[in-house]
Amino acid sequence: MPEVLSVERLGKSYTGVRALHDVSFSLEPGEIRGICGENGAGKSTFVKILMGIIQPDSGSIRVAGRVREIHGPRQAQELGLGIVAQELSLAPHLSILDNIWLGGADVPLFHRRQALRQRAQRALDALGVGDWDLQRPVGALTMGQRQIVEIARLLARDARVLILDEPTATLSDSEIERIHGVLRELRAQGRSVIYISHRLGEIFELCDTVTVLRNGEHVATRPVGEVTRERLIELMLGRRFEEMYPQIPAHPDAGDGLVFDRLTVPGMVHDFSAIAPRGKILCVAGQIGSGAAMVTRAAAGLVPDALGRLTLDARALRLGSVPHCVARNVFFISEDRAAEGLFPPLKVLDNLVATRLDAHAPLGVLSWRALRRIATHLAERVGVDRNRLGTAAVNLSGGNQQKLLFGRTLERTEPGVLLMNEPTRGIDVGARAEIYRLMRKLCDLGYALVMTSSDLEEVVGIADIVVTMYRGRTVARYERERIDMSTILADITHPAARAAA
Amino acid sequence: MTVTGDPAHGTRQAAMPLGSERHWMLMAVRVTVVALLIAACIATPGFFSLANILSLLTTVSFMGCVAAGMTLITISGNIMSFSLGATAGAAAMVFIVAVNFGGIIAGLAAALAVAGLVNAAQGFAVGWVRANPIIVSIATLALIFGVAEIFAKHSSVYFRPGTGIEILRGKLGGVPLEFVAFLCVTAAGQFILYLTRFGRNLYMIGSSFRAAEAAGVKTWRTVTGAYVWAGLFTGLAGIMLAVRYDGANMDYGVGYDYDAIAAVLVGGTQIKGGQGSVLRTLAGTLIIAMVQAMLLLRGFRQEWQYLFTGLIVLAVIMLHTSGERR
Repeated sequence: MPEVLSVERLGKSYTGVRALHDVSFSLEPGEIRGICGENGAGKSTFVKILMGIIQPDSGSIRVAGRVREIHGPRQAQELGLGIVAQELSLAPHLSILDNIWLGGADVPLFHRRQALRQRAQRALDALGVGDWDLQRPVGALTMGQRQIVEIARLLARDARVLILDEPTATLSDSEIERIHGVLRELRAQGRSVIYISHRLGEIFELCDTVTVLRNGEHVATRPVGEVTRERLIELMLGRRFEEMYPQIPAHPDAGDGLVFDRLTVPGMVHDFSAIAPRGKILCVAGQIGSGAAMVTRAAAGLVPDALGRLTLDARALRLGSVPHCVARNVFFISEDRAAEGLFPPLKVLDNLVATRLDAHAPLGVLSWRALRRIATHLAERVGVDRNRLGTAAVNLSGGNQQKLLFGRTLERTEPGVLLMNEPTRGIDVGARAEIYRLMRKLCDLGYALVMTSSDLEEVVGIADIVVTMYRGRTVARYERERIDMSTILADITHPAARAAA
Repeated sequence: MTVTGDPAHGTRQAAMPLGSERHWMLMAVRVTVVALLIAACIATPGFFSLANILSLLTTVSFMGCVAAGMTLITISGNIMSFSLGATAGAAAMVFIVAVNFGGIIAGLAAALAVAGLVNAAQGFAVGWVRANPIIVSIATLALIFGVAEIFAKHSSVYFRPGTGIEILRGKLGGVPLEFVAFLCVTAAGQFILYLTRFGRNLYMIGSSFRAAEAAGVKTWRTVTGAYVWAGLFTGLAGIMLAVRYDGANMDYGVGYDYDAIAAVLVGGTQIKGGQGSVLRTLAGTLIIAMVQAMLLLRGFRQEWQYLFTGLIVLAVIMLHTSGERR
């Protein structure tokens, strides 16, 4: 069978920096190909070249056997290449139908709406969601449903190769299942998929083959059946990989840290009670909308209408006031690092000391010497190059940005509490393992850690205690030995079914 | 375009080649423009005369105080305030009335208090209620003019004889007192931004309001603080206007907000907040004032000054946003 897409010896440099070097790649019809690699491995450069957003310096691209030059997204579309980007490109106020045709190359100026409607309906049918109302505004859909609309858009344009860049980063598990089902359906129709993901579990579950990029070079392409998870990580890192999740030390219980007593957020969380002991990681597991992420937000003082009682070391923690929480060394690390964590244009130094200006500002006047010293120290402790203190935070990799946020919480007068939503979202394997080690180090120091995650593998790997949530209510609580992926999955998807069984 | 360094140490170097090219391009443009401007000034007869330099220094002082205040508001991420010119006019009138009533000290206190309070109210509306800063500033502008109309009925106020106001028209080592005050304002603004906790919080809020909130910054107090400082600096500009022109009406402040916005932008403070400084604005103020003085000497009317200021602002905005769309 001829290849639907192949590239030969593709290369691209940016003023002396090699982003892609000598990469060859070919894709068969009906193949789902995973692409793995750390941040900076060249994945996005590769995708941008395929979509015609940037032009390669060398090498050639063949589509269905013919050599092509792709000068822009529109031309890529005409050649049957389509992308579902990390940031969805839908217009929320327009209907599903309008979004499917938005930006389509073959929509004539005077078009027959009926014909467009039929083709859009066929696309939805092909994805198994033919019962959706085409007039519904996209803003009313969940993130997963929007992604299906994006895929339908590509189908309506008759894309032969669909490129998905980190499609599941913002989805809940059941939505991920659905997207995977849709992609398998497309494979059965003979279409090909390029699937880029940091989540290795998905690669093994969904893909037929996997290509690994490292430092802009093609390292390997294998059928997924022929590689193990460990081998895949080693290929990505280019070195031996010891262990993703650090050993859990046999800690004596360092006492109750943060105690949630009937925490309630109207309409989202009902009577959440749990204990986050010092020295342990409590993981609140739940799908998007389960209220899990709201539990940590409320504890951080970010939810003004939260009710209930929280105590830290037996002293009450005031709800709804972030400054008060920070004064008690309770810190929040958001799932939305770019918008709610980092100060992107500010320097690494400013970002590191953001929560400790008070301590170094007698009468409100700062001591820059002290701040620089503490920032240098913090950078070293979290593993960020101290020579980069003057760099704008936006120029760091996702992993290093996340380390800055952890750095803010270190070196306090007393060990604090860390509330984290999706602490490793968008972070590659190497940095991810570092973050897990950092979290364990904080436990050793006596911090109490509370996190939420939609990555169940991560939950099972890192948590000491898991509390499962479904639609705002807690389902069950598990300690170390009894933490098990299938039980958690059952809890957070259909707790009633499990209870009945 | 992130380039992977040695992953074992977790240090990745983000190469920003496009960014640095742009940086040098911007730098080259800046140097060229300033060189051209200086050449044009030299070629303008009378530009370097003592009279012109002194007049330039006072113009710079009025505009610069307002611009320093505008800089704080802009860095806080609240774009601009269109009411600062009106605040300056109102402060000038309040100053004269209060001086006539209770002497210079009372005048200074009253003018600064009014300007500070008007801006505190704006800051509260923007920081606490989270109202749109542009709309709030336009509403404030209308309110100030409305109140002034009720009290002053569109007339001017003058100092009564014997207030001793002449003392404020003196010079310090040959430099007009206004300019000395302006330098103090610039130094104070720079000190606030770089050496106080309040100033750093302002940068944090400007670069990401939500991140600042999540990091425990007291956001509304900080935003209100920025507006209050802007009010005080502007109030000072109003006082200097009253002293210089020996009288005041609401028209005196007109145009200063626009010139200040131009100075902030030309200086390179980012409209979206989080980046910039009062020193940058000082440079911007000098450039705008030099262009205006040169046009005046070359016989262009006031309208032409507006036109040129507008063109400069447009050019700067396009220069700074080009290349960001990549």
